[in-house]
Amino acid sequence: MKKSLASASVLALLSSGGAFAQECTDPVQITWSTIAGFYTDAMAGFVKSFEDENCAKVTVVNIDNSQLYNKQVIEMVGQTGAYDVVTLETAEKAEFAENGFILPMTEFFKDQKAIIEDVSPTLRAMTVEYKGDVWGLPYYTYSSGMFVRQDLLDDSTEQAAFVAKYGYDLAAPTTWEQHRDIAEFFTRKQGDMLKGQPLDKDLFGVGLMAGPFPEIQDELSAPLWGMGSDWLNAEGQVPVDDVEKVLNGYLELMKFAPPAALTVTYDGVMNQMKDCQIAMTHGFFLDQWPNAVKTEENCPGAKMAAIEAPMKKAYVGGFLLAVSSSSANPDMAMKFVAHIGGPVIQQQFAEMGGASTLTSVLTNPMFATPEKRTTNGQYATLNQVFSSMAGFSSNLFKTPFGAKIYNTMQIPLQSAASGQITARQAAEQLAADVEKICGGPCPIAN
Amino acid sequence: MSSTPASSGLAATSKTKGAGLSDRWFSVLLITPAMLITLIFAILPLAQALDVSFRMGDLSRGKIGDYVGLENYRVVFADSTFWQAGWVTLKFTVVAVGLQMLLGVGIAFLLHGATFAKGLTRSLLILPLATSAAVTGLFWRYLYDTQFGVMNWILGSLGLPEPNWLGDYTIALWSVVLFDIWQWTPFVALIALAGLQALPKEPFEAAELDGASRWRILTTLTFPLLKPVLFLVLVLRTIDCVRLYDAVAVLTRGGPGTATETMTFYLYRTGLKLFRMDYASTMAVFFLYVMLVAAVFALTPLLKQFTDRAKEA
Repeated sequence: MKKSLASASVLALLSSGGAFAQECTDPVQITWSTIAGFYTDAMAGFVKSFEDENCAKVTVVNIDNSQLYNKQVIEMVGQTGAYDVVTLETAEKAEFAENGFILPMTEFFKDQKAIIEDVSPTLRAMTVEYKGDVWGLPYYTYSSGMFVRQDLLDDSTEQAAFVAKYGYDLAAPTTWEQHRDIAEFFTRKQGDMLKGQPLDKDLFGVGLMAGPFPEIQDELSAPLWGMGSDWLNAEGQVPVDDVEKVLNGYLELMKFAPPAALTVTYDGVMNQMKDCQIAMTHGFFLDQWPNAVKTEENCPGAKMAAIEAPMKKAYVGGFLLAVSSSSANPDMAMKFVAHIGGPVIQQQFAEMGGASTLTSVLTNPMFATPEKRTTNGQYATLNQVFSSMAGFSSNLFKTPFGAKIYNTMQIPLQSAASGQITARQAAEQLAADVEKICGGPCPIAN
Repeated sequence: MSSTPASSGLAATSKTKGAGLSDRWFSVLLITPAMLITLIFAILPLAQALDVSFRMGDLSRGKIGDYVGLENYRVVFADSTFWQAGWVTLKFTVVAVGLQMLLGVGIAFLLHGATFAKGLTRSLLILPLATSAAVTGLFWRYLYDTQFGVMNWILGSLGLPEPNWLGDYTIALWSVVLFDIWQWTPFVALIALAGLQALPKEPFEAAELDGASRWRILTTLTFPLLKPVLFLVLVLRTIDCVRLYDAVAVLTRGGPGTATETMTFYLYRTGLKLFRMDYASTMAVFFLYVMLVAAVFALTPLLKQFTDRAKEA
């Protein structure tokens, strides 16, 4: 600790020195555990600039997404100090904060409130704040909207056929009932006509992430939150009737999804989209826009659009960078969090096509140009999502059991999606699982 | 106990090697490293698991808590998912081991009678065993892919139905079984082949001279003589199947739903996703107990047979 304090003092003295790199002989070591992929490679350059400016040496530990939570919890419980900066999924924040695994950064950001206030209030409430404290900065948002084949919605032949069948105009869905109708309408067999041309392969109305991964709950958050409910009610219990209702809606959609829906995650759905197999997604991670837009290259005449999910509610979240309470160099670790999540790096991150978390970046006109459409074309929709969901926060992110619940809930939900159990049984099982995890009703922080 | 001159000489040699140690202490010295390794890596963790199984142990709360008596055992035994995982494991083990034994022994007989490319075939059989299930599992996941997989491409080309191998809960477990059969049947075949090649020739020549039919030779000579080897393979494969984890983790992650969630996978989920080390330890202790009882029942006749043979020899 003495060493870190000494280093911090040296840093304070020299922090404005342009020739710092030359004088750095004993860099402060910090380790960042993060997700393999997800632009982590792009972060290497940003890490270098931090090292040069701060006389630090940052070791980036890439961990497979499915193992990241386990690895981090084990190191936190053991107080090994193996990771100075950790990467948390939205549902994990409360658990890490409540159990003292991470340090509050309220004091650190006291004089840098502009950075915190630059994070969209909706995203801030979900990922940054807990019990009145600030716990880090998100560096990447996977908040959801929807991707649609706009060319299909705009086609006059399809529009006429749709009106004839459903009695209202074909357009981007604003309710989940419309979403279902559109999914049904565009589910066609090979040889059927689409936009006046015969299909050379089957087309499915919707791509779903019902595989054995924690994504089906992200999808279902959209209709559940859209109907004014939540995964946990104010009493900390699962609202069984509401979950059953949205699950039944989801089961209805399964009829219009490729069979692979039961095995894929988000990348599988993107592959289906790029392979011209699906007309739209369910609530879907908008950070995948650079991937989704490639459909236009692969499918003749395709035009992609990123839109808000029906009822203007969808899963909002981001990867939070937080400082481990067992870090030997917490000051440097906090500086690193502010560096990666701050406006300079976020701007550069956005230029590389990353899904930035800062309003100043998301609203920067330079990303609204036609040239930037393929890399940053979802930013306007992201801003709409944050705006529409202003003031909303899920109880799932306010309970210290959120991570465990989140890591368990896909099992009953997927069981229902696969037909193994009914929607009612799944909702009841989820309620029982959650009660078991929390040891009764889950505590919800105000 | 009398000792032969030869054994006395051996003892003398061992005393010399042991630099003044008695035979007894020299033996103790020889087995000490193995015992230490077993103690550190098997007995101590087992003792700790046993200890944790009687305590509150939510690891994400930062520590192992107070003793709770048999509460963890009550919770685990009342957990329907635990028993369902046990049922899945049992189904998997019975079908996978059964088919592997049938196919493996069949392949061994074919190879035993083969007149050419025997060595090459034997080498090819080793390939599935030489790679880990984590690697080959990924490869099979792509083979099984409903949209882009080779399996369905072939079936589709032949005009046959294209199943959702890993997504349909009615067949997902059998898809994992198929993968396990592909990987482990060669093991059974190779061991059975080695057993066949080691059989004494004289009884078979005598039976042929007596005009015994092939079926009679098979049922009265080959299988009885091969029994110890086959039994050993059966026990090894059963133990391996019961603790199945890697194939499930790579292919299905226990899904769809819980259709392929085995005991080991559920134990992993409880311990390392929910961090309930108390429940996970309880399951592990119970699991070990069942395995020990089964192993004792299974291995006792085999060991007796080996001992009898050694005595006869």
